[in-house]
Amino acid sequence: MAAPMELSCWGGDWGLPSLHPESLTVMAYAKFSGAPLTVNTISNSWRAPKGDVPVLISEDIVISQPAKILNFLRKQKYNADYELSAKQGADTLAYIALLEEKLLPALLHTFWVEAENYCSVTKPWFASRIPFPLSLYLPGKMSREALNRILLTRGGPPPYSLTEVEAQIYRDAKECLNLLSKRLGTSQFFFGHTPTTLDAFVFGFLAPIYKVCFPRVQLQEHLKQLPNLCRFCDDILTCYFRLTVSGHSPAGQDTADANLQKLTQLVNKESNLIEKMDDNLRKSPQHPPRKLTTLKLAAGGEESSPLNRLSP
Amino acid sequence: ATLCFQAFLQMCNLPIQVVCRANAEYMSPSGKLPFIHVGNQVVSELGPIVQFVKAKGHSLSDGLDEVQKAEMKAYMELVNNMLLTAELYLQWCDDVTVEEITHPRYGSPYPWPLNRILSYQKQWEVRRKMKAIGWAGKTLEQVLEDVDQCCQALSQRLGTQQYFFNKQPTELDALVFGHLFTILTTQLTTDELSEKVKNYSNLTAFCRRIEQQYFEGHDKDSSATVAARSAKRSLLR
Repeated sequence: MAAPMELSCWGGDWGLPSLHPESLTVMAYAKFSGAPLTVNTISNSWRAPKGDVPVLISEDIVISQPAKILNFLRKQKYNADYELSAKQGADTLAYIALLEEKLLPALLHTFWVEAENYCSVTKPWFASRIPFPLSLYLPGKMSREALNRILLTRGGPPPYSLTEVEAQIYRDAKECLNLLSKRLGTSQFFFGHTPTTLDAFVFGFLAPIYKVCFPRVQLQEHLKQLPNLCRFCDDILTCYFRLTVSGHSPAGQDTADANLQKLTQLVNKESNLIEKMDDNLRKSPQHPPRKLTTLKLAAGGEESSPLNRLSP
Repeated sequence: ATLCFQAFLQMCNLPIQVVCRANAEYMSPSGKLPFIHVGNQVVSELGPIVQFVKAKGHSLSDGLDEVQKAEMKAYMELVNNMLLTAELYLQWCDDVTVEEITHPRYGSPYPWPLNRILSYQKQWEVRRKMKAIGWAGKTLEQVLEDVDQCCQALSQRLGTQQYFFNKQPTELDALVFGHLFTILTTQLTTDELSEKVKNYSNLTAFCRRIEQQYFEGHDKDSSATVAARSAKRSLLR
């Protein structure tokens, strides 16, 4: 309990503390069990992520998979399942297996394989958080691994066409969501009033589907038709992560400030460039001087409007 | 896996005949074994077979409510996820077992070099799959621990009941029986896997009960059990 624990994982956006399901599961479990965890999100300045993320580092021990991390936390006496009966513990294992078999392929597909989603959202987001040379390679690798996993576990010989596999995995995912909704019913968490490991896993898998804005969103639309699951995610976000639905948080302010700084720098650079263009224009005799004033005003206008857009 | 189906169909009171074929994997529409051949229809894999049987009017899980059905599906996934993968791991990724048992068994219907080629091909396929789901890095001890956890969960869920849900057997019972019976009766280089299952007395009692009830009741069923055992020997999933 005394040893400080550090978790490095992917950061968040769209109101979530993390976009990565496994990272989110570990973070949620830590909140539920009260484990004091310092979360380091992987950003451009961090050392390159190698292999498995999330990674828990406590003194000299390095642990990488969510199940193992949760086991370690339990051994350190941060146990969210303390009040569960043996049968409920067994149910937890079974439902986690259900999530991994039925929901995970569709989740991976939505994030990493669906071309529009991958190119417009996933790849730029992850690439912006990975240091330069790796950002060209790592998202592609993650995408290939996701596709591989889907095909090997669902493709089966003889190889179905990708569209048939896709249809099958989305059907399974929707069925899984329906089953989860039935199991949750009207209670606040899956086993009564306190959240447990199962809640952490379900939250980890559902929240990215629920919140991330993708162009192709069939799974999100299906999820939105199950109001108790949406309420479940929102409850955990507001109670345990202190995020409002719009996505601003005390920690988020820092990133907003950092973004503001970066944008100001960019705009300054742009205005420097524009000034240089002005000089060039002044030197050339063909352009009349009155255009200079309009350029300067335009530069001033550009400077103020992005700042306006940023303020909440 | 063959046994799961037989158990399921026996539970539905549908008579079946088990046939062993070397090219069974190719005859199956999805490439997965086993499959059933009814009239002019061929159906493979547990899910579609259950649906097919349901469409014909036999179903084991009608008496369950929605939450129980969700639980049943979850437990079936657990069994598939853990037990099936562990069985595959043991057959194809544990070097000792592969050399002594799997290669000869898988290649036995074929002449020389084909038997080695086909079994290496299958091994490569299975190892790729293990790598994709993250089991490639697991040692045998870790796999056995996972099996133990799974059996513990099943044992706790079964408790002192006769079947997993009330007094009627369901698809889950058939599936669990198939896997556990296979683990308990197949000869491997070590007995560790079957020892893990034997630790849970209610699970072994469960297997024995189903075997007695559904497999040793009738005359032709004794030949079905013999055929089932030889099916395990010459057909691999």
